Amino acid sequence: MAAQLSKEQTALIADRETLKLLATTDESGTPHVVVKQSIHLAEDGNIHYLELLESSRTNHNLVRAIWFDRKVSIAIKGAGKQSFQIKGRPVEVHVTGPLFEKHYVEVRSLLGDVDLAGVWVIEPEEVIDENPEIRRRDEEARRPFFRHLDRLAKNNITDN
Amino acid sequence: MSVALKRTFKGELALNDIVAKYPDVPRLVILKTDVQRRGIHYTERALSIVDPDMHQLRSPYLFGSRDGEIKPLPESLLLRDGTTILVDPTPLEQNPYLVDLVDGRLALVDDGEVIEFVKLWPKPKYYDLLTSSGIPMSHIASARPQRLNIFQSSYCHFWAEHKECRFCDIVNHTKQQKSELGVPVRLKPQDVSETIREALKEPGRFTNICLTAGSVLKGKELFDNEVEFYIETLQAIGENFATKKFPSELISSAFNERQLARLYEKTGLMSYTSDLEVLGEEKFNWICPGKAESVGYQEWKNRLVRAVDIFGRGNVGTGLVGGVELARPYGFISEDDALRSTLDEAESLAENGVTTFFIVWVPRPGSDFRGQENPSLEYFVRLASGLHELRARYGLSIDYNDYRRCGNHPDTDLSRLL
Repeated sequence: MAAQLSKEQTALIADRETLKLLATTDESGTPHVVVKQSIHLAEDGNIHYLELLESSRTNHNLVRAIWFDRKVSIAIKGAGKQSFQIKGRPVEVHVTGPLFEKHYVEVRSLLGDVDLAGVWVIEPEEVIDENPEIRRRDEEARRPFFRHLDRLAKNNITDN
Repeated sequence: MSVALKRTFKGELALNDIVAKYPDVPRLVILKTDVQRRGIHYTERALSIVDPDMHQLRSPYLFGSRDGEIKPLPESLLLRDGTTILVDPTPLEQNPYLVDLVDGRLALVDDGEVIEFVKLWPKPKYYDLLTSSGIPMSHIASARPQRLNIFQSSYCHFWAEHKECRFCDIVNHTKQQKSELGVPVRLKPQDVSETIREALKEPGRFTNICLTAGSVLKGKELFDNEVEFYIETLQAIGENFATKKFPSELISSAFNERQLARLYEKTGLMSYTSDLEVLGEEKFNWICPGKAESVGYQEWKNRLVRAVDIFGRGNVGTGLVGGVELARPYGFISEDDALRSTLDEAESLAENGVTTFFIVWVPRPGSDFRGQENPSLEYFVRLASGLHELRARYGLSIDYNDYRRCGNHPDTDLSRLL
């Protein structure tokens, strides 16, 4: 079942200033994390990523992922504290056809004489809010033991 | 049609069994292989959504289909990992996969079960155009999802001497195409150049041009005329490129060094394939009598090895019709023996910089091997893995003939990660 992004997350992923990272794994399971600003949300709720290089490590790892049913992760970080992560699976790559041609034309108009290897479609399975404040409040509510005692002590004890 | 007549594949491991047994081979490539092996049948529901403006319908091809008919059906299929399936319409009694409409999408269906959703090939824009001489451009260059095929001459001179390869139906199919569609038997360079020019106007549509034809034995030296035809055509294609070399493949007879050097120096050609079709001298002599008599098995191999000096490692290959080594009556009895023999020979080529790949043998009605059955899915999966492993072991790339620049070889689909 595909996970949905909130309105705020949708806006963040569409923001040009937002940093977007894609993490894949190689044959031995070693992570490979790269900034990929072409990541964007498609109308059907899936994530699209434009791969420019057929022989890149990311492309090979995505091929492995679609072949052997592996997940990938995407980290999204806005200019402020807004941040979230998507875990999902590559479900398709467009190597020809109207969507491929549209992006091929767009990417070349934006970046000059570059190629396009494929338009990867990643179906989000889990969306995790990575805003540190929200994560902290969530952990303190769910896992109350995971706190150092001095943080809970009376002020007069810790005030030196 | 009678259910009792259906091919049942008894005693063979089925798709899911093979996927479980070979976890290192991607399910999608195994599926492609099985679809090629068994063929497809489009249901009426599936055909109801085919749009001739958007989808590529079957265009002229060098070889016929296994139903022996030329019909305006979809050209072929794409899987979601970008893998191309080149597959023919197949009579229902041969138990093909069905291509059906499920929830508004096309799907491969077997035994009532949806196996995988598929897409049709997009139609290139030049398919609607004519050359200045009035020939449909679709008759000049056949498209694949990312490749252009130029079948410059669809006559093979081995047929004139009744020494054609036993799996091949090229001349019978050519006659059928000529009478039913008016497809020219030999292309003119000007028509080819104009077609390529139009094809290049479509952004991102093609990554490779492949030329192939039947063997032409005539000339001062054997194959000289064939070489001249290719040089003419490649030069006409080259008029459209700013660079001298352009991604391209020639699949031709086994040329000598002088002929290969001329091809390389006078044209933009970047890679060379000459198909041995089957490995092992005894099987080659039986299955390819014309090739055996004109050049011979050892010399064909030697010419491939010498081509590496001209085109470079990874840019020279030989194609096999995988499975004919098990054809009746003189083929291997055991799939294990056939595999061992084929991979040993492929290794001897790999050691010398020549890469080997295969297509799935489809016994065609217009060929001498008509009516036979191709080997098990497991055989083809082991063959694909074995050829891919040889490429990996000997550091041979297959960029010119991979999943995208060709799409007809399960083993080069695996080599996508090299």
